[in-house]
Amino acid sequence: MNFPHLHLLLNHFPIIGTVVGLGLFLISMIGKNEDLRRASLIIFAAMALLAIPTFFSGNGAEGAIKKLPGVSEAMIERHQGAAMLALLFMEITGALSVAALWKSQGISRAAKWNWRLSAVLLFSAITVCLMARVGTTGGDIRHPEIGNGQEEVTEGSSLSKLLRRVEPSPEKFAELMTASKWWWAFMMDLHFVGLVLLIGTVGILDLRLLGFAKQIPIDPLHKLVPWAMAGFGLNLVTGVLAFTGMQDYYTYNWAFWVKMLAIMLLGLNVAAFYLTGAFDSVRDLGPGDDAPPFAKWIAATSLFLWFAVITLGRYIQSYSDTISVHK
Amino acid sequence: MSTNKEIGLAPPLFLQAIEDTGFSTWLRESESPFAFYFILLFHTFGLALLVGTNMVVDLRLLGVARGIPLAPLKRFFSIMWIGFAINAVTGVLLVVAYPTKSLTNPDFYVKLTVIGFALWVMWKIRMKVFEDPSLNEAEMMERGAALAKWSLILWFGAITAGRLLAYTYKYLTYPS
Repeated sequence: MNFPHLHLLLNHFPIIGTVVGLGLFLISMIGKNEDLRRASLIIFAAMALLAIPTFFSGNGAEGAIKKLPGVSEAMIERHQGAAMLALLFMEITGALSVAALWKSQGISRAAKWNWRLSAVLLFSAITVCLMARVGTTGGDIRHPEIGNGQEEVTEGSSLSKLLRRVEPSPEKFAELMTASKWWWAFMMDLHFVGLVLLIGTVGILDLRLLGFAKQIPIDPLHKLVPWAMAGFGLNLVTGVLAFTGMQDYYTYNWAFWVKMLAIMLLGLNVAAFYLTGAFDSVRDLGPGDDAPPFAKWIAATSLFLWFAVITLGRYIQSYSDTISVHK
Repeated sequence: MSTNKEIGLAPPLFLQAIEDTGFSTWLRESESPFAFYFILLFHTFGLALLVGTNMVVDLRLLGVARGIPLAPLKRFFSIMWIGFAINAVTGVLLVVAYPTKSLTNPDFYVKLTVIGFALWVMWKIRMKVFEDPSLNEAEMMERGAALAKWSLILWFGAITAGRLLAYTYKYLTYPS
């Protein structure tokens, strides 16, 4: 496994996944099918999560191929700018989907249309277009047989010309992030605040599920989860901004990649909690009630993985340049 | 490193004496993953326990997730104290590792002061809100709301001051 391999393994998911998600979402609108709508929202949330390591793996792939003959750095830059813009819309779509899923909890099958769903429709449609652009510009880097065979950056349609103007320049963006140490310190400060929001709320819910402070019923404690999601969102934003500021520092770092793996596993753990009946088995637990073993396992896994994420994050600094690349 | 020529003052020599001890040198320079970063990691674990639980109690006192009964939240004060104990120990070790870096930085004293006030507010919340069994929930919230706001502000300040230690120091080690 190397970075180009990892990037190719991951990069099809957000592109095709959002198309599938949007398709299901549209069918669910026409057929008024609540289950299908839920499925499409889950797909958007999952793709938003997967898009993060996909984006991160791009820099390593660039490092591996940019010196090869026939590879244009300008084309890579364009692809990366397109990816940054698409990632922004992908994450907004994911956040809106999670908000819509949260809102639809416990509501009867005929859930009403609300602004969140309209926003999901709008943002997912934009994301699909931007993802198509990411795929095309990415393919142009290594597949001249598909395009017009040119090695220079050219924009065929007026739409791609327009996109080119709004896509950030990765280099200028990196400068922006690292120009002031106070801005960097501010981002890192917020990253710690997000950590506290997340661990405080999720940690207490996990401890209760494991049997600590059993007098507290589950349902009201579960109402703290949006605070955890806010913390995660804050850390996603500050984390991605930090990455774009110092791409090589994070790319060639073992601790960083294992941290990303742990976050992906946490995504699976959340899915296991909400989609396999574990949450249904605990939501009505009152004072003194014990959670079933499966829910306890999920809570223990959550605690373990979140502390692993903190651990790996802390060790990023001491693990810089631990991934060697053959040049 | 810079030598503080402007006022011609060198940092006190005891900082150098601490730095020269084998333990301080080991903490600072060892390649072992159980040296400096291990201490720093536990300082972060302690922060998560201490501030994370404080924050949830504060939010509840301010009216978030009102369905959570207040009285059982008292149990979480033990987690706060465990977190604080971890951070007091690891904090001292971090100062032992880099005494000149921390003790010559005014921000370090700001951080300690803010933590002092935050702990005092935490103690007040415990005593005024959770140790009086005659209070009902509405009274507990009424008594705790202002303290909870201060708690959130002070812990945010403590995190910020702590983070800034990494960006504001004048000397990393004793100037030679």
